[in-house]
Amino acid sequence: MSGTASSPPRTYFEDVEVGSEHETPAMTVTQAHVSLYSGVTDDQAAGLGLAPELLALCLSTGLGWRIARPPLVVLAFMSIDWKIERPLRVGDTIRSRSRTALKRAMRDSGVVIEEHEIVDQHDAVLQHGRFTFLVAKRAVA
Amino acid sequence: MTGPARRYFDEIEIGEEYESPGRTVTEADIVLFAGLSGDYNIIHTDAEFMKSSIFGERIAHGLLGLSIQAGLLTRAMQPYATIAFAGLRWKFKGPIKIGDTIRVRGKVLAKKETSKPDRGLVTLGRTVVNQRDEVVQEGETDLMVERRRTA
Repeated sequence: MSGTASSPPRTYFEDVEVGSEHETPAMTVTQAHVSLYSGVTDDQAAGLGLAPELLALCLSTGLGWRIARPPLVVLAFMSIDWKIERPLRVGDTIRSRSRTALKRAMRDSGVVIEEHEIVDQHDAVLQHGRFTFLVAKRAVA
Repeated sequence: MTGPARRYFDEIEIGEEYESPGRTVTEADIVLFAGLSGDYNIIHTDAEFMKSSIFGERIAHGLLGLSIQAGLLTRAMQPYATIAFAGLRWKFKGPIKIGDTIRVRGKVLAKKETSKPDRGLVTLGRTVVNQRDEVVQEGETDLMVERRRTA
């Protein structure tokens, strides 16, 4: 069910290419982000000028919707395996790079594993790891 | 400003357990989190579309659940002398729906000395359950914690 006048194109399991790489636009992490995030979640920064590490991960998922590929039809976020290499600071401008590492078809859907890394304005890797998604197959007519 | 004393690597014991208070996840939480993160996936934002989904309604972002449990667990334990949050291995096992009340149980699974004598790695297992005691998320987090003394 894609590509009709009323529904924008979307990326289904069949469309996913192993090895494809994407880079998101960048976003500057501000104190407003930290305040909103900590207000909603009660997850606090470790110190002055720092941002909670999970905030970078949360912002990167939003940035992930802004890549050139039509949005992936994610049925469920299954798991995450993640390493944090450097602290996130207020004022850092982050973006995310991803690469599709694996896809495995199931009966009605499929599993897609993506490798992600979040880098700062100096191109230093702050955080990196793997996301596992359950992705919809195209509806069979 | 003095908070509760921070606990060092040496003082933390494998097998220690913590249980957080509960927190009801509301529609407002999900709307705010969508606005903050920029993740407007229809599974979190389109109530009509989700009526015909396997969930029957909108569900919370997995990362919202992950972030809320991080906040909840800090309310359940005396803080560690944490230097850095080093990583996590995490599974999203079931949906968190609007109105669900979640809590997190933590348990110290492992302690590992590192090449630096002033710090050690503490692995904390975490299980997030809803009001029916169903596991909705679970995993492990690695925290780099200061060591008080070096032998």
